[in-house]
Amino acid sequence: MPRVTVHLYASLRSYAGGAPSVEVEIRPGQTVEETLHALGIPSDQTRILFVNNRAAATNQPLQDGDRIGAFPAIGGG
Amino acid sequence: MAVIYRVNMSDLTVRAEEPGDGHSELGGRALTSALVAGEVPPGCHPLAAENKLVIAPGILTGTAAPCSGRLSVGAKSPLTGTIKESNSGGTAAQALANLGIQAIVLEGRPADGRLFRLVVTSDGVQIEPADDLKGLGNYDTVARQFERFGQKVSCISIGQAGEFRAAAASVAVTDIEGRPTRHCGRGGMGAVMGSKGVKVIVVDASGGRRPAATDPQAFKTAVKKFADALMKHPLTSQTLPKYGTNALANVINEAGAYPTRNFSAGQFERTEAISGEKQHDVIAERGGVIAHACHRGCTIRCSRIYVDEKGQYVTKGPEYETIWAHGADCGIDDLDAIARMDRLDDDLGLDTIETGATLAVAMEAGIIPFGDAEGAIRLLEEVGKGTALGRLVASGAAVLGKAYGVARIPTVKGQAMPAYDPRAAQGIGVTYATSTMGADHTAGYAIAQNILSVGGTVDPLKPEGQVELSRALQIATAAIDASGLCLFVAFAVLDDQNAMDGICEMLAAHYGRAYTADDFTQLGKATLIAERRFNSAAGFAPADDRLPDFFKKEKLSPHNVTFSVPDEELDKVFDFA
Repeated sequence: MPRVTVHLYASLRSYAGGAPSVEVEIRPGQTVEETLHALGIPSDQTRILFVNNRAAATNQPLQDGDRIGAFPAIGGG
Repeated sequence: MAVIYRVNMSDLTVRAEEPGDGHSELGGRALTSALVAGEVPPGCHPLAAENKLVIAPGILTGTAAPCSGRLSVGAKSPLTGTIKESNSGGTAAQALANLGIQAIVLEGRPADGRLFRLVVTSDGVQIEPADDLKGLGNYDTVARQFERFGQKVSCISIGQAGEFRAAAASVAVTDIEGRPTRHCGRGGMGAVMGSKGVKVIVVDASGGRRPAATDPQAFKTAVKKFADALMKHPLTSQTLPKYGTNALANVINEAGAYPTRNFSAGQFERTEAISGEKQHDVIAERGGVIAHACHRGCTIRCSRIYVDEKGQYVTKGPEYETIWAHGADCGIDDLDAIARMDRLDDDLGLDTIETGATLAVAMEAGIIPFGDAEGAIRLLEEVGKGTALGRLVASGAAVLGKAYGVARIPTVKGQAMPAYDPRAAQGIGVTYATSTMGADHTAGYAIAQNILSVGGTVDPLKPEGQVELSRALQIATAAIDASGLCLFVAFAVLDDQNAMDGICEMLAAHYGRAYTADDFTQLGKATLIAERRFNSAAGFAPADDRLPDFFKKEKLSPHNVTFSVPDEELDKVFDFA
């Protein structure tokens, strides 16, 4: 089974027991959103998504070894 | 009627006057830039008597408008040679507004190098000798004022760096706890205040009162609409209060735009150790303060109070930009060391962005190695001692870099870039290149659309759409900087029409006439036009609206990109002027 690493930030870490990242198995072609749903993260909690450090859409299919970065609304500066 | 105080530091006289020349409705950056552009000879030396330091609360400051306590300080900048406006939170802006003061203008220059204190009350402005404050940091300076004038006053002060008239010197503003933690950091405004011989301005607002709107009922309704929008947006109501500005560290690093070791890489391998999440946990475990407001009426509360392992106060925040500048940019991963440097910067009166970037250039120069936190602290301590090396550090990245023969100096118009690499966030590169202020992220925060998915999305790695984005943001920002509102309200404004409507309705009720989004845009444009004209007369040309060449040549990891917005596109940013 292909595996991806999901890096969670800020309030989203509560969905992984406070851990900064989790490694999960995915089925071939599984999307970013499906992967986050599998972790119990509702779609409305994520605002910024990356796959391999590039901005990603929720329906982007994933491949073995991908790195997901998921954030709620973030700002500052 | 609001009053403008002209404080002549050459002959130590004070003159009160009504605003003239269409200035009566202006505040904040719109007023500082109008006065500087209208009265300061563009070719003058920034430390000469001809320069003026204009201190102005925003249009809505002092009212019940949420997050409206910003203080603008403007002059010709000794760092950039351009016009400059730098703004800060803290309590002084509201105190000035409650006294009915639209601006204090410091003019002239004392001949003998003496130091003075200005005492601002409902009776006016008094100039007092303050030579006893010579050589003091901001913390000791304000402590002496609170001893003498009571705990309720606000202080605007300079540290040793301002006394040295160093180009990276800030103007400090006290916070609700009376600490000098909020700073008009950028562009050396502290050096101009130092050149005027003013060490501290004490503002006692007792006897003052909140500015009344022309239509109080409509104002109240508009305030509620605006406050509701801020409370509804997840960024201004949840992330910023809980994690502070440094929540950005991980997302900017994830995007590959987190400048590392003097802009030589786009990701720092130890970001987690200096992240907003880590900072939150450290502060919470040690009993510091999360969700701290820098002035009354701030609902966002992005500030925090950082304490050491024994729970003793160290400093505020620190903020994202500060943690990056003294952290990733220097290869330093120690939050406690960064907090100590933030405290030192605040005490010495230094811009934390410029100073951190200068330390990184010092590391590039080999003065100390990257990652050497104790060495960096020693370099900062040199500033307080007034040594030659300390004065170089306080002069900013461009000067220190040139003195040590460094080729990679990340500055525009002599001002160091903040915490976003323009190669991986090309929109902010357009702002850095073309801002009237030198490299300044706040001037047009394209990170919102490039990375944060706020106000739409624009691909950060491509040049397309960046000029239009930066132009719109620079116009809107100039208006927000005039309003006295904290720029962070823009996150709600970009996503929620009610927030923008709320601002216009507050201004309409304040003025007692119709006020539309077009009026707000015109205010921003007029401010930028005045600033551009000043800069042009001071000798700035399109060739100055460029990033350093290495951004076009050195590829940035992990995306292996260079800055690719063409020069001729950069020249179109101000095509409305």
